[in-house]
Amino acid sequence: MDFLSQGLPEAVTSLPVPGSAVPESAVTDEAAAGADEGTETAGTGAGWRRWRALLRRPTFVISAVVMLWWVGAALTWRLFGLNPYTNTGHLLAAPSWSQPFGTDDLGRSVFARTLAGADSALAVGPLGAAFATVLGSALGVIAGYFRGWVDTVFMRVFDVLVVLPPLIFLIVVVGAFGASTPALIVIIGVVFAPGIARIIRAAILAEMGKKYVTTAKVQGESAIRIMATELVPNVAPTIIIQATLSLAAAILMTATLSFLGLGAQPPSPDWGLAINDNRAFIESAWWTVLFPAAAVASLVVATHLIADNLKEVWA
Amino acid sequence: MIAPSPRSGDATSAAGRGLGALSERHTRIVALLGRRLIQIPFVLLAVSVLTFWLIQLVPGDPGRNALGQYATAAQVHAWDVSNGLTGPVVTRYLRWLHGFFTGHWGTSFVYAVPSRPLILGHLLNSALLGLYAFVLMVTVSLVLGSVQAYREGRRADRAITISLMSLSSVPEFVVGVVLLIVFAVWLRAVPIQSGADATGNFAQRIHVMTLPAIVLAVSYLAVITRMVRTGTAGAITAAFHRTAVLKGLPAPVIVRRHVARNALIPTLSLLGIYFGGLLGGSAIVETLFNYPGLGALMVIAAERKDVVLLTDGVMVTGVIALLALLLTDVCLILMDPRIRFENTGS
Repeated sequence: MDFLSQGLPEAVTSLPVPGSAVPESAVTDEAAAGADEGTETAGTGAGWRRWRALLRRPTFVISAVVMLWWVGAALTWRLFGLNPYTNTGHLLAAPSWSQPFGTDDLGRSVFARTLAGADSALAVGPLGAAFATVLGSALGVIAGYFRGWVDTVFMRVFDVLVVLPPLIFLIVVVGAFGASTPALIVIIGVVFAPGIARIIRAAILAEMGKKYVTTAKVQGESAIRIMATELVPNVAPTIIIQATLSLAAAILMTATLSFLGLGAQPPSPDWGLAINDNRAFIESAWWTVLFPAAAVASLVVATHLIADNLKEVWA
Repeated sequence: MIAPSPRSGDATSAAGRGLGALSERHTRIVALLGRRLIQIPFVLLAVSVLTFWLIQLVPGDPGRNALGQYATAAQVHAWDVSNGLTGPVVTRYLRWLHGFFTGHWGTSFVYAVPSRPLILGHLLNSALLGLYAFVLMVTVSLVLGSVQAYREGRRADRAITISLMSLSSVPEFVVGVVLLIVFAVWLRAVPIQSGADATGNFAQRIHVMTLPAIVLAVSYLAVITRMVRTGTAGAITAAFHRTAVLKGLPAPVIVRRHVARNALIPTLSLLGIYFGGLLGGSAIVETLFNYPGLGALMVIAAERKDVVLLTDGVMVTGVIALLALLLTDVCLILMDPRIRFENTGS
């Protein structure tokens, strides 16, 4: 009967609310300030404090290091003389001192291919996520600000788009438009935008009831000005968190598409492709599959953890 | 969750309780079902237009692909005509739509068999796998979530949260590959390929489907466990729970009657959505394990540009997703916390 001893009131207050995308506390604080002095986003002092709070969190620091490691690998692997395409002469060699991750069935160094794969993994994700965030936020802000028929039309269109599971939708779209990097960036942007738009819309709806919006309207500010300089800064934390989450999802989606054979094509050192290609050798040469798998997992998990930490510090 | 609703006026009147409330609940279900049933065909129609138009953009010549490079242009044209691939896109769409609703789903190019039995057969396989994963997921998340709630804020709670959160952000195919290496390659406990003997007897089937089902369940586990934890924590910190403990009810009765019922309300709606998602099949897990499900079939169709199979398959997926949405709504109303509160609290 140890639950008798649990302090009831404390437990109630510490109860987490899942899925609360709207960062209540941060928004209301800023809105309270903004109600008096127009839109003043958090000053540099507050920003600096948040950075320090982030850097004190071990999971954030580790994730940031992992992320930077892969970004560095993607940008600089060519400078270190790594060659992911040539045959070393040893087929399916186990990990050793000369080949730390072993070699694959064509004798290519898995170490070189794993590092070079970061290039392919990060080619689409950042731009695709940026596109999705800009598009989704714009639609969400517009729908939340104007409401009425604009809102209804947007939401009905989104309803249709979210009926299909994203992966099935992606498979169809990639089949139609191909899997080149620019096409993938646009496709990822369009596929992820509705989800972001919904969340931003909800945040904007919460903002619309606050005094600073009414004040701005009474002052005769134009709709565009209110949206861009009053509303967007106040939902900025939500937007940034959504951007990070969609970056993780975009990296995952491109890796998944290559894994399914619909994305990067051989001889690209892409991680998803490597896992799919080397599946046949999983019994005799697990290292050809495990290292690319660990790479993609570390990158996606690190991005997720960064988003989580941002959420906890900002929201 | 169990807070009294704004209907405070009804709480005193007899009409708001018992059979009165029940009939009101039923009219609400009917109203919602009606609204959804009107809505669903329109959404489905929009999805079908979108799908059909997108798939028309798929490059490549299906007739040429089906007949091979030695067929003459006339043969290819004849094949296109017989498969309904000629004429303006609107006519083709209407013809396809008519065929879809009358059961003539066309012939798959890749498999050269009618696509309807092919898709429905694969859907059944996917649904079996999904059901297995669902059972695993619900059982494990109920146990973990309630352990977390009773140990809230302690080490076990945090450990479970952290491990589930990191596990859920690991890509599905990575979880699958690691499990394959451990259980199929190193321990040799399960076969590497699940496709070949998925049609064997029941025990064999379960044995083969276990690893894919675990991978499927893992990706949903974190969210559901979180919901169970929140719901249970809410129930065991509520005043009625303290009353139940203080009046000396035995623990199993408290858990069954007071905690479980209240804790599961928020979880159920989520389960509805995930159930639909699981039944429709997972392209990733099925491809990884070579399991003959609908998701893997769609990947093959997209890869080989089998437009007939792809269009029909995507439509079937859309229908399942919409039905899952409907199921979720019905669950939500059946579990309406207000009705539950009045029925059990009076």
